Amino acid sequence: MLAARARNIQRLARSFATVVDSTGVKVAAIDNNQPTSSVTVLVKAGSRFEPKDGVANALKNFAFKSTKSRSALGTVRESELYGGVLSTSLGREHLALTAEFLRQDAPFFVDVLTSFITSAKFTRHEFEEYVTPISEGETEAAAHDPATRALELAHSIAFRNGLGRSLFAPAHSHLSATDVQSYAASAFTKSNIAVLGTGIDQATLSSLVEKAFANIATTSSTSPASKYHGGETRVEGHGGPQTIFIGFGTTGAPTAEIATLAAHLSTTPAVKWSKGVSPLASIPEGTSVQSIYLPYSDATLFGLLVQSTSSAGAKEAAKSAVDALKAASKSIKPEALKSAIAKAKFAAANAAESREGLVNTLGSKVFSGSDASLESVLSSLDSVNAAGFSKVTSALVGSKPTYVVVGEASALPYADELGL
Amino acid sequence: MVFGPLGATLAPYVQSSRSLSKWVTPFAHWYANAAGWRKYGYKYDDLLVEENEPVQRALNRLTPAEKYDRAYRLKRACQQSVLHAPLPKEAWMKAEEDVRYLAPHVNEVMKEENERAKWDHMVVERK
Repeated sequence: MLAARARNIQRLARSFATVVDSTGVKVAAIDNNQPTSSVTVLVKAGSRFEPKDGVANALKNFAFKSTKSRSALGTVRESELYGGVLSTSLGREHLALTAEFLRQDAPFFVDVLTSFITSAKFTRHEFEEYVTPISEGETEAAAHDPATRALELAHSIAFRNGLGRSLFAPAHSHLSATDVQSYAASAFTKSNIAVLGTGIDQATLSSLVEKAFANIATTSSTSPASKYHGGETRVEGHGGPQTIFIGFGTTGAPTAEIATLAAHLSTTPAVKWSKGVSPLASIPEGTSVQSIYLPYSDATLFGLLVQSTSSAGAKEAAKSAVDALKAASKSIKPEALKSAIAKAKFAAANAAESREGLVNTLGSKVFSGSDASLESVLSSLDSVNAAGFSKVTSALVGSKPTYVVVGEASALPYADELGL
Repeated sequence: MVFGPLGATLAPYVQSSRSLSKWVTPFAHWYANAAGWRKYGYKYDDLLVEENEPVQRALNRLTPAEKYDRAYRLKRACQQSVLHAPLPKEAWMKAEEDVRYLAPHVNEVMKEENERAKWDHMVVERK
């Protein structure tokens, strides 16, 4: 059964070709004969590259506003007529502009996406009337979510600049439409753009993209290589669960061993209504521990996010989380490693089933020009062995921890109290 | 409003004809000075009727500096009106400074409203 599934995935992966087409934009398409198509324009314009705090977020919210070919209203109304869905998402490295639509409407939706890249107007009144309120709303919502706050703080103390920059605009920002425009001008270049299509023919997508991107610049954005620092921070949070993030980071390309460790410590049970057999299954009621694995192109942040209704519960859960993490890094039973590898493989393969997950999984691979398929992800997980696992994890756990507390800062434990 | 917030105008027609604009322009300049708004420090666009939706939206699109200057001109002119006297001659609005700072924004707003109306009343036909 598992073998059959793996073969299926490989077939899917093989149909995923990467080309550098004649205009220099990377295009990859996969067609499984599904009734709808989606096209994602992935731009290296995440918060990592932003020159000013919040510019990347503002650029994301500027998507699908007026361009030379159609107004913001026209974009929305025409997309509604075709029955498509337009969406954007911002990561620390990439900005993704996605359109999902019925197969025959590809020319229109590719034009909507590409016209934003090539001829967005970035008008001041749209910035003030539409973009700023959304950016402010996102900042506000993020400030009320302790998990998001903890992860934002963890990134900023773990990586400081670059990856440490927030995905959200500061609460009181002094951005203007011209800041966004100049950031867009520097980011929207051929070598920064990759186009990923699902349910669309590679040749069709290439020809549509080739035409649209014929005249854009070819420079590339760079950001200094990430450096891991680590540290501790404690912030007061009102409402929401007591949150502790215990993280460790490494630099360099993400390794399969850390993904395996994340799967090993993941508390998601395989069977409904059970507690699972994870080493963290015995945490007290009302608490939760999530393993967080965030791979980036040149760094990885791994961590355990502990949440609880009470600070005492959070402390207890965090203690057992740290113990489990240390135990796993010292030695892991062969059968536990085997099931962790299987879990990690399933998570990776399952993520690639959804469109969003596929873009996340393959986006960075398309940029680096390497084999844009799931095969490489799965085979790297296959080659994880006990010796390599304990080497990588003990090095990871030996690094300086990134420790973030959001909630009752006076009652929640300090890093040294947990034995970090 | 038949002619929109900017009112009816023959200016495009006059400007499109070279001989006509040659005859009309001196008269237009004389009229702009004679009408007296420049004596009170106004720009022509300060006189635009602002009690309607499109112009209110256009006013929101001015830069902070433009908003401040407009408020200053309106207050100064009110004060002169109380005094029943125009400004001293050196404070009059110069012809070259009397530019249409608001009209482009009003036009933009009207264009958007027309587009919205077009989309609201369109008929979709199957090809």
